[in-house]
Amino acid sequence: MDELQGLRSQKAEERAAAAEALSHLGEEAAPAAVPLVECCSDEESVSQWAVAALESLGPPPEDSISALERLATSEHALVAYWAITLLGRCGETAQASQQMLTSILNESNEISVRQRAAWCLGEIQADSKESIEALAKATKATDPRLARIASKSLASVKTGA
Amino acid sequence: MATKKKATPPPKSSRSSIVAWLIFTAVSGGGFGGYINPDLPIVGEIVGDIVARFEAGELPTKEEIEVAEEKLRALAEQSLAKVAAGQPLTGEDGSGESLLATAYHAMVQAEAGGQSQPATQQQQQVNAQVASARVPTASLFIASFNIQVFGESKLAKPGMKQTLAHIIRQFDLVAIQEVRAKADHILPELVAAINADGSRFSFVIGPRLGRTVSTEQYAYVFNTNTVEHDPASVGTVNDPSDLLHREPLVGRFRARTQSPAQAFTFWMVNIHTDPDDVPEEVDALADVFHVMRSALPDEDDVILLGDLNASETQLGRLGQYPGMGWVVSGVMTNTRQTKAYDNILFHRQATAEYTGRWGVVDLKSVLGITPEQALEISDHLPVWAEFSIWESPGQASVAAGPVNPMR
Repeated sequence: MDELQGLRSQKAEERAAAAEALSHLGEEAAPAAVPLVECCSDEESVSQWAVAALESLGPPPEDSISALERLATSEHALVAYWAITLLGRCGETAQASQQMLTSILNESNEISVRQRAAWCLGEIQADSKESIEALAKATKATDPRLARIASKSLASVKTGA
Repeated sequence: MATKKKATPPPKSSRSSIVAWLIFTAVSGGGFGGYINPDLPIVGEIVGDIVARFEAGELPTKEEIEVAEEKLRALAEQSLAKVAAGQPLTGEDGSGESLLATAYHAMVQAEAGGQSQPATQQQQQVNAQVASARVPTASLFIASFNIQVFGESKLAKPGMKQTLAHIIRQFDLVAIQEVRAKADHILPELVAAINADGSRFSFVIGPRLGRTVSTEQYAYVFNTNTVEHDPASVGTVNDPSDLLHREPLVGRFRARTQSPAQAFTFWMVNIHTDPDDVPEEVDALADVFHVMRSALPDEDDVILLGDLNASETQLGRLGQYPGMGWVVSGVMTNTRQTKAYDNILFHRQATAEYTGRWGVVDLKSVLGITPEQALEISDHLPVWAEFSIWESPGQASVAAGPVNPMR
C-alpha cells in the first residue's frame, strides 16, 4: 500500500495526501489503522484526513491490537481517543486490553478519552472484577455522558449483550 | 385556503428532560447564524470572541458588533471582488491543472456549447443576467451534502470551488456537513464561487462542534431568490446530556413567493452522527424531531437531513417515530456505492409539500468524471428531495419510490 509509505514521509503535504487517499478507501484502509492513529498527533492538514480515514475504516486488523494498546495511553488526546475507538471496534477480540482500558477510565484527565474507555470496555465485554468496579464507579460520574456510557457498558458486560 | 397547518398533538415523550432540551440560544448560545445582520453570514472566529465574552456574562458593545460586522462584510466583498476579477481566491496558481479541474472545464465547455476558452467579461455578464433572471419554479429542491473534510486543502484544489458551486447551484437549499477548518473563509469563498454566475446564494454556519480537537461545522447554503430564512430561528440544539457528538444546526426557512402567507415554511435539522454511536444518536434524534415539531405552534414541518451513518433500516426510534418518512431507500449514498448513510426525513402527513421526487446525485455521471475524481470531491453524494413552494393544507403525497434517483 503506497499510502502507508506516504504517511511516513518527511513532508507534511505527502503525509496529508496519503491520509486523504486512505480516507477514500473506506474499510480497505484498515491495514493502515495504526499509522493513521499516529497521524492524529500530526499537524492539522494531516490529522484531519487521518480522522476522516479512521471514521470509515471499520474494525482494524487483529494484529494491530498491541500497537493500539500502546497508542491508547498516548498523552495526545486525539491519538488515545482513536486508538481506544479502534480497540472497541475489535469487540471481544480485544478483551485482553481491559486492564489497560480500566486504568485509562480511572486515571485519564481527558473526559473524551475516559468516555471512550468506558464505551470500549462494554464493546470488548470486559469481565474482570477491576473493570466492572471501574464501570460501576463511573456510573456515578458528574459528567452525564460518562455516567450514561458506563451504565450501558456495565449492563452489556453483565448480560453479555 | 392554503393556511399554515396546526400541529397535531405530539405523542407523549418517554423522556422527562426533553422539554428542557431544545432551547435556542440566540447570541448567547453555542450556535447561531444571521443574528447580527440577516444579510451577513456568521462565521466562527470573528464572532466567537464576542460570543465567548457574552457567555462569560460580558455584553459586547454596539461598536464591537459593528466592527465584527465590518470584518465579515470586508471578507465577503474581498472574495466576491476576486471572483469577479477572475482571480483565484486561495491556493490556485493556474498551473498544474488537476484531473478534476480538467473534468470541470470539460463540463463547463459542454454547458457553454463547446466554448473552450475561459469566460470573457462579456460572457460573465451574460451569465450573471441569466442567473439573475432565473424564475423561481413551483418547487423547492432541498439537498444534503457531506463535503468530506471541507476545509483549506479541499478548497485549494484546482477547480474544486467551481465544481462544488456547480453542484450546489442545482438546489435551492443545501444542508452541508463536515466543514473542517480553523479559518473562517471557507463558506464565504464557496458562496462567492456560487454567485460568480450572478446567482444570489447566502449561507449560515454553526459553531465548531466535537468532543476532541477535531471539530466540524454545519452550514446551510441557500438561494436567496427562492428561499429565505428567519435569522432568529437559527441555532444549535441544546444537548445538556451530551447525547449527540455534533448537535444539529436548526433553522426555519420559507419558500420565497409572491404570497408569503401561503408559502411553504419548515424547520431544517442538519445532522452528522458519530459512526461509533449511531444507535444512541438516531434514538436521540427522534427526540430532537419531536421537540422541533412542537417548538412553534404554527410550524409542524420538520425536515431532518444529513449524514446519519445509518441506512433506512438502521434508524432506530427515529425511523419508528409515528408517521416518519424518509426519501432515500434502496440506494447507496456514498461515492464508493457501498453504504446508504445520507437521508432526508420528515413526517409524511404533516409535510404533504413533498412531491414524491427525490434522488442521489451521481457525481461521476453528472460531472463526467472518474470514480477517483468523484472521491476528491467527497466520499458522500448529495441527496435531494423536491417540495412544493406552497404550504399544503391537505393530505400527504406519499411517494412509492424515486422518479429518478440519480439526478
